[in-house]
Amino acid sequence: MIEIKQVGNTYRLGETQVHALRGVNLTIQSGEFVSIWGPSGSGKTTLLNLIGAIDEPTRGDVLFDGQNIGHLSDNKRSELRNHTLGFIFQGFNLVPVLTALENVMLPLQIGGMSPHKARKVAEDRLADVKLEAVAHHRPDKLSGGQRQRVSIARALAGNPSVVIADEPTANLDSDTAMTIISLMHELNQKEQTTFVFSTHDDRLLGQVERLIRLEDGQIVEGGSNASVG
Amino acid sequence: MLQWVKIAFRNVLRNKRRSFVTLFAIAIGFSSISLFNGYTDNTYEGLRQSAIQGEGLGHLTVFKKGWNEFGKLNPAQYLLTQAEVQKIAQLLKEDPSVVLVTPQLHGSGLVGNGVQSTIFIASGVVPDEDRLLRGEFATRRPIVGGTLQTDKPYAVEMAQDLARQLNLSPNGDGTIMASTFDGQMNALGIEIAGIYDTGTAATNDKYIRIPFSYAQELYDTDKADRVIVLLNHWQSTLPQKERIATLLSQNGLEVEIKTWNERSQFFVKVKGMFDMIFAFIFSIVLIIVLMSVANTMSMAVIERTREIGTLRALGLKQRGVSLMFALEGAMMGGLGCLVGVAITVAGCALIVAIGPTYTPPGSSSPIPLIVNLLPQAMARLTLFLMTLSLLAAILPARRAAKGNVVESLGHV
Ligand SMILES: Nc1ncnc2c1ncn2[C@@H]1O[C@H](COP(=O)(O)OP(=O)(O)O)[C@@H](O)[C@H]1O
Ligand SMILES: [Mg+2]
Repeated sequence: MIEIKQVGNTYRLGETQVHALRGVNLTIQSGEFVSIWGPSGSGKTTLLNLIGAIDEPTRGDVLFDGQNIGHLSDNKRSELRNHTLGFIFQGFNLVPVLTALENVMLPLQIGGMSPHKARKVAEDRLADVKLEAVAHHRPDKLSGGQRQRVSIARALAGNPSVVIADEPTANLDSDTAMTIISLMHELNQKEQTTFVFSTHDDRLLGQVERLIRLEDGQIVEGGSNASVG
Repeated sequence: MLQWVKIAFRNVLRNKRRSFVTLFAIAIGFSSISLFNGYTDNTYEGLRQSAIQGEGLGHLTVFKKGWNEFGKLNPAQYLLTQAEVQKIAQLLKEDPSVVLVTPQLHGSGLVGNGVQSTIFIASGVVPDEDRLLRGEFATRRPIVGGTLQTDKPYAVEMAQDLARQLNLSPNGDGTIMASTFDGQMNALGIEIAGIYDTGTAATNDKYIRIPFSYAQELYDTDKADRVIVLLNHWQSTLPQKERIATLLSQNGLEVEIKTWNERSQFFVKVKGMFDMIFAFIFSIVLIIVLMSVANTMSMAVIERTREIGTLRALGLKQRGVSLMFALEGAMMGGLGCLVGVAITVAGCALIVAIGPTYTPPGSSSPIPLIVNLLPQAMARLTLFLMTLSLLAAILPARRAAKGNVVESLGHV
């Protein structure tokens, strides 16, 4: 369970201050398939970075299963990310010198898993996204859709409880975007992994179970409806 | 660990041109150190042999205590008696590492051809034992005529410039004059057995070598001023010095012992000069390696900022990022050294093939340029340069590792 309590985030841009988030309250239960939707600049990335424990809020608290992320050391936060979080990036962010399979193995090996075991798990994950055939290709030999599927496999490799995806389809054509969202949804159903992804494309919201609308750093829709259940 | 090595290796190959330039810089640095090292090693080897055998210093020289400090002014008081020489020989000959123990008597005086005379410096040596001491040098030394003979005590060897000045040639006659230890003038007739080249201009017009017994006769004494000890390995010089000093003092002998390198000023000076040059080359290589690796790795770190952000998001710790780049730096150093080994071996082979010669200062004839291949020294150098490259990589990597993950991810 993720709890966002009274979170505000302010960026400094020279003299001016940009309030990227303003008093955000949000609870996400495990197993949810959540979309954060809003126009560009509304604060989606900022919010996801906080949930992903790669950034700290200026105000308020982010709790992960009751644990305040702000109270963790950098090493502890790294471990948290490695064990319980998965990331899917807009730009895929695959490591170019590694093959698809090796990219999927990466978070497991960062966590200290033996190469032999990591390879087995990664092979299964690549099978989940139907990429066994290109397992030994480097990213530059893959299409955009394939790359994003590799990165989904990588995000899921370590059996995380939450997968965070910041505009995962922004660099893909709309057909591919649809399949990627479907794939994520399928995996969410199958494994009960929480998915939180952002998008500004409303055509992708068909499969979304919970929609959080962000505007000007504030949640204008979907903030608290699931917070009880 | 292995997969990180693999990743490091692939990253080294990522920017081939840049890595190649860096590897090449390390390799050139490595091979210049190794080749110079190999050259000095060979030179030291040669200098050591020419000091121990060529100059006839042996490994150790036993003097009466005080000889080196006061013996110049007051030689008579710092001589070893016949009994002492015999006792030393007897004690040392039981040691299997001692090959030879031989007494010598050195001195100076005037040598003449009947018309003119000039200064000489003489070494009085036991002919057969001296031949043993010099080993291959005894036969290699260019000599016109013959050598010292036990059964011809008045026959001497004369340095070539001295012989030329006095217009003496083998079988020619001359006279040596000197004051005895009692202060009497003494003169003896000599015959030139042979003429030799000392190897240095400074001594070629002064030196003569005479039989030990004839030197004793000239200075009217039955004593010696030193005992030369030849060992079977030069490496045992220092431990044997300690051991022999204790042994002799336990047996009531008041002596002081000098090693061959303490006695060979030339060796010490040449080594000092080479050490300076080595330090100079070494610091240049050090700076080149440090700068080129640091530069390459800084560029790699900046280019891969987004990748660093990704890895951090996937849970790699700051230390992990540093280690990843450190490994890459070390690998670059290691690969550079590997290429360096190849260049060094090729360089050695080339030198062997060409066989160049040169005439070192103070030497009278050209000697071949030889470079020794030193695997141990190269292994040490590799380890050192790898560590250096590792450190050069860790500095920029640490900066990147400590950076904000979000900012790293946003880096383009
Ligand atoms: N590093 C930053 N420095 C200054 N302002 C920033 C920074 N990151 C984001 N912002 C600002 O914060 C607001 C929210 O940005 P962001 O969370 O990226 O929104 P979104 O992802 O919805 O486009 C925007 O006005 C953006 O300009
Ligand atoms: Mg964004």
